[in-house]
Amino acid sequence: MSRSLSFECLRYAAILVALAITLVPILWMVSMAFKPVAEWQATGSDLTWIPKDPTLDNFRYIFGESSSNLIVALERTAVKPILSSLLSATLGTLIAMSAGTAAAYGLSRYGTGANLPLALLQLRLFPPMAVMIPVMVMWSWLGLMDSWYGLALIYGIVTLPFAFWLMKVFFDDMPREIEEAAQVEGCSRWRVFTRVTLPMMRAPLASAALFVFILNWSDYLIALLLTTREWVTIPVYMASLSSSMTGQLYGAKAALGLIAAVPPVLLGIMIQRHLVRGLTFGALRQ
Amino acid sequence: MAEIAFRNVCKSYGATVAVKDMTFTVHDNEFFCFFGPPLSGKTTILRLILGLERPDSGEILIDGRPVNGVAPAGRNIAMVFQNLALFPHMTAEENIRFPLVERGERPDRIAARVGEVARKLRIGHILHKPPALLSGGERQRVAIARALVRDPVAYLMDDPISALDARLREEARVELKRIQREAGRTLIYVTHDQEEAMSVADRMAILEEGCLSQIGTPSEIYDRPVSASVACLLGSPVMNILPLTKEGTAAGGAIRLPPVLRPQAAAFIGIRPENLHVLQQDNDEDGSCRVTDVEPLGGTTVVTVDAGGAVLRAVLRGQPDIHIGSRVTIRVDVAHVHFFGSGGEALHQHREGLA
Repeated sequence: MSRSLSFECLRYAAILVALAITLVPILWMVSMAFKPVAEWQATGSDLTWIPKDPTLDNFRYIFGESSSNLIVALERTAVKPILSSLLSATLGTLIAMSAGTAAAYGLSRYGTGANLPLALLQLRLFPPMAVMIPVMVMWSWLGLMDSWYGLALIYGIVTLPFAFWLMKVFFDDMPREIEEAAQVEGCSRWRVFTRVTLPMMRAPLASAALFVFILNWSDYLIALLLTTREWVTIPVYMASLSSSMTGQLYGAKAALGLIAAVPPVLLGIMIQRHLVRGLTFGALRQ
Repeated sequence: MAEIAFRNVCKSYGATVAVKDMTFTVHDNEFFCFFGPPLSGKTTILRLILGLERPDSGEILIDGRPVNGVAPAGRNIAMVFQNLALFPHMTAEENIRFPLVERGERPDRIAARVGEVARKLRIGHILHKPPALLSGGERQRVAIARALVRDPVAYLMDDPISALDARLREEARVELKRIQREAGRTLIYVTHDQEEAMSVADRMAILEEGCLSQIGTPSEIYDRPVSASVACLLGSPVMNILPLTKEGTAAGGAIRLPPVLRPQAAAFIGIRPENLHVLQQDNDEDGSCRVTDVEPLGGTTVVTVDAGGAVLRAVLRGQPDIHIGSRVTIRVDVAHVHFFGSGGEALHQHREGLA
């Protein structure tokens, strides 16, 4: 009894440490987002968790309302970068998920293209830096530089292997007889896919899509290289929130970070019901 | 309303031959059972009939019409899969309705048919539930209902009741027979349970390693197996197979067969446990047979006898006064002895001559 009690104590201690490591930086960002300039770099006893003088100035600042507290006027607001991130990450996720799902299904059911899985994985074996400069040249030649759809395209390509591999595992785990039953009961192959397979795959699709979306949403390197002015994404824009005169604009960055965290969290909550099932799919016998 | 026939059908998966040059005909309106040990090709035969697999060679005919190139949806055959293969994202009712919806039936006719089938299988009260919330027996009923709801030329069932416990299986067996009679359709049934096969089938086929060993009514096959291995597949406990000496003795001399009573080529004899009589011995004069095990099963008792080194199993009525270690003599009516050649092939002609 005492041994299991001490074990429980250790367990909770470990959980607390893990939670602290994950949550404290996020809470700090939330706190920072509402602090006025004066508190950004506070030290010693001035350092507080709760802003002494909470303000929305940081948010106003990145959305272009000049604030007397902040010396530097922004070249551009956060509106376009947020739009750019939303458009490119969403379309990129759509591209990766539709191509990846189709490829995974074909391979899982028909066994054609047996080399495809590794060939796709190869996309991920290159260090991104080695690939991105040639891609930059190609995108420039294709006229896709500094556009949200150009970004979306490369996001779709880069995250395709993830979508493919995740979906392949799910398809492999799905009992084949269910599709065969649908075939026998009068469905064409395409009807089987749309009427039976896809609806059954709702949970895996949702969790794979969330995973791919988060990858696209948090990309920095690709957007840094493929966008210049018009369609920079949130991470690239965030890096520009500093100046030689003021240094890092911590409060503004925290405010933007807080906004950037909203879409993935919202998506996660929306598909939470599917998420657990999707991530454990196949692990449980029915 | 269909006759299903194979003409020299072969199917292999890589190096594994699943179906070897198979020719047979399942008659219209017949309850036909495929029986064989695991991996004997039972399921492959069903998949070939359904069109889920294409034969490597040979022809499959439905009502005399070759269907080799016809897709599963075009063959109008209903199937109950071994794992039932219900659609987990649909309710029981949507599952049952599925075949009719896919075939573009009118909504009022669909509702009528679903209601009718649900009544027949007594599942009206669970129609709104998804398969995950149903018990094993209910799922099986839903799967059968999905097959029965439309009007196919034949029903195929791949061991559909294997997941049920013994009591439910017996009920399901009786019910399947009734359903088949009422529907008046060909039903092809696959099982690995010999008792189930014998109890439901009008005719059955014995499969061994992708080959059709024997085809006939259950009693034909039970009484006249074509080989020792077929004989051993049917019946429980299995038939006693004993080597026969040149002098016509078996089991260390406990069984003697005069030359006129046995075929010349006989190398083995087979005795069904129910045809082997075990008699209590008062004195130890004939001490060659000793009881090594007694299993009382209520109505019958299985007695294992060591006869000169050979182990024989006998099924006796009731609960005879025989105990482990008892000295016994064994008797067998020669009319019930099966003779097999050195390759295990049955030597029937001689037995018929003798009878």
